This record gives sequence, C-alpha cells and structure tokens, in this order.
Amino acid sequence: MSLAKVFSVSTRARASGASGLLFRHAQYSTSNQEGKVEKVYPPNVPGYKYVNAEDPDMSFKEMSNRAAQTIFWTELARGFAVTLAHIFKEPATINYPFEKGPLSPRFRGEHALRRYPSGEERCIACKLCEAICPAQAITIEAEERKDGSRRTTRYDIDMTKCIYCGFCQEACPVDAIVEGPNFEFSTETHEELLYNKEKLLLNGDKWESEIATNIRADHLYR
Amino acid sequence: MSLGKYLALDKLSNFFNIIKQNGGIRASLYKMYRQDELKDGVLVGEDKFGNKYYENPRYFYGSNRWVEYSDKYNMDYDGSQVPAEWFGWLHYKTDLPPHMDPSRPKYKWMIEFTENMSGTTGQYTPYSTTRPKVEPWIPKRKSNA
Repeated sequence: MSLAKVFSVSTRARASGASGLLFRHAQYSTSNQEGKVEKVYPPNVPGYKYVNAEDPDMSFKEMSNRAAQTIFWTELARGFAVTLAHIFKEPATINYPFEKGPLSPRFRGEHALRRYPSGEERCIACKLCEAICPAQAITIEAEERKDGSRRTTRYDIDMTKCIYCGFCQEACPVDAIVEGPNFEFSTETHEELLYNKEKLLLNGDKWESEIATNIRADHLYR
Repeated sequence: MSLGKYLALDKLSNFFNIIKQNGGIRASLYKMYRQDELKDGVLVGEDKFGNKYYENPRYFYGSNRWVEYSDKYNMDYDGSQVPAEWFGWLHYKTDLPPHMDPSRPKYKWMIEFTENMSGTTGQYTPYSTTRPKVEPWIPKRKSNA
C-alpha cells in the first residue's frame, strides 16, 4: 500500500459521499460479493434509508487498510489536519457589537410613539392597542387637551409583559405606536422597563429616521 | 488559478495589507485587543459621534459590514452606540448609507441619539404622567398645642 493511500484524507469522505448511496444500494442488492455479510434488513426499497452503523467490510484488502491506519496513527494525523485547517478558516460567527446580523424592516423591537412632521403627537387615545394587546401590557388614560383635541395623559407599556407580537402597531389607525427596530434596550433593573408616555415619545424622536424608512420600505404591503 | 493563489500567497499579501491599513503593528495589536478582529475594508462613512463604518464584500454576508466605535469610547463601546441613521445600513436593511439616502426624514423635533443609558445616572426612571386619583388626607395641625 502506498503512503499516499495511508495518509489519504479523503478516503472516508469519498465513501460517505454521493457515490456511497449508490454503492450501498448495490451492496444490498448483490449480497454475494467478496467479504460482504449478507443482510436481510433493510429492504432495498426506494424511500428507505439505512441510518444505523454498517458492518465493516471484511475483505482482506479493507481489513489491512484499517489496520495500517491504526498502526501508523494516520487517523490522529488526519484529525489534527482538520483542526489546523479550521484555524485558518473564516469563522461562521459574527463579531458583535462590531458586526451585526441582518434585520427585516418589519422587525418588532422597542416601542415608540411617533409624531406628525409638524411635531404634533399622533396618538389620539383610541385605545385600540390597549384592547388588542394579548398580554395587557398597555395602559392608557385619556383627557381632552386645552385646544379641544383628544390626547392621552397616560400611555404606559410594561415592556416585561409585552410579547412583541406587533398587534398594537397593526391596530393603530394613525401609525402612532410602532415597534421600532431597536433591540438593544436591555436594562439593569426591572423598573427601567416600565415605559411611560414621555419615554415612548422620546424613543420616537430618537428613532424616527429609521422608523420612517422601515415603514416606507414596507409600503407595498400596507 | 495563478501560481500565487495556488501557493496561498494572496492570503499572505492580504495579511500584510490588513496590518498596513490598520496603521502598523502596534496599532494592529491594539485593535486586536479592542475588537478581537482585524479586517481590511473600504470606509463607507462616519457618523457624528466618530464611529466609522466599513465594508468589504470579501467577507461573507453578515460580517461584510462593520462599525469601529470611536476612539473616545475606548473599551466602553456598546452595540447601542450605533445611531438610528446608520442602523439600517449596518443591519443590511438598505444598501444606502444615510448621507446618500435623500428620503430619510430630518425634522427639527428629532433629538440627538443616545446610547442605552441603563446603569448610569442618565438612566430612565418611570414616573406617572397623570395626577394620582386617590389623594391622601393630610390632617391640619392644631395651631395651639
């Protein structure tokens, strides 16, 4: 046996590749080959796949090959070669927070209350979001403002109750409450996640550039 | 395939190119320490906080765009320091960086971006935005006692 054969990295890969399937089918159909143990199971029926470990080939050539691999520790060398190769490979993971994963414009993150371009708040306190919220995380109280318009005096969202289903933004008739793109709003304490109206409006003012872009990106489906 | 590529010499030239782009051996070592990764890329833009945004399509999707946080943050960089304008580009929602996207709204009521302030003195503390419905009775003190 040549050295190239002993140190061959691809012997195993070749055996389990695409040709392996054909080979296995042939193996079960013709059971009287040299060194093969005759098997009753599995049936040679298309659609069935034998997933258990198969008995090793007992022909003299294959047995001596296996013995040579064990004696010369080539499995070990091949194992180290795989490890070494992976050191130089580009990792499949991303280096957060420098690299970030792809997001959809429909991503549902931190809530925000939006304003009209004039700066007037959109929310008219219709309470549809409060009604539809399956986690009952939204609390709204409304009053008439001095200029006669109906506005909320309290708009609280318990972000720890929220399940981020997005029903509130779907229910909203004026696009006031939205789930913005931000997901990096983790806090050190629980109480920081009990958002009130001011906080939600501030979120809207902070993220308007991205919120408006996301809504426009989705305009064909709205 | 050229001979240089066959002998993986292009990897070697990439390596030296990366060191050169990151400002020499010393600066590269500091960057490795700060960012755990050394990459070469094209500077796409810089936001008003000094964070720099790079792109290199040689890396696979998901790590071909990245941000290098401003030096003033030192080791206190955080994922929430990417402002809203650059958020979409960094998350592969759009290929247009904000300075080349004319449709992004700029209203005068939009406020300065802040990072996640949790754990600092600037953190949000909840308070009620309405008057309490039940007001406690505070008894008047007797004037002569």
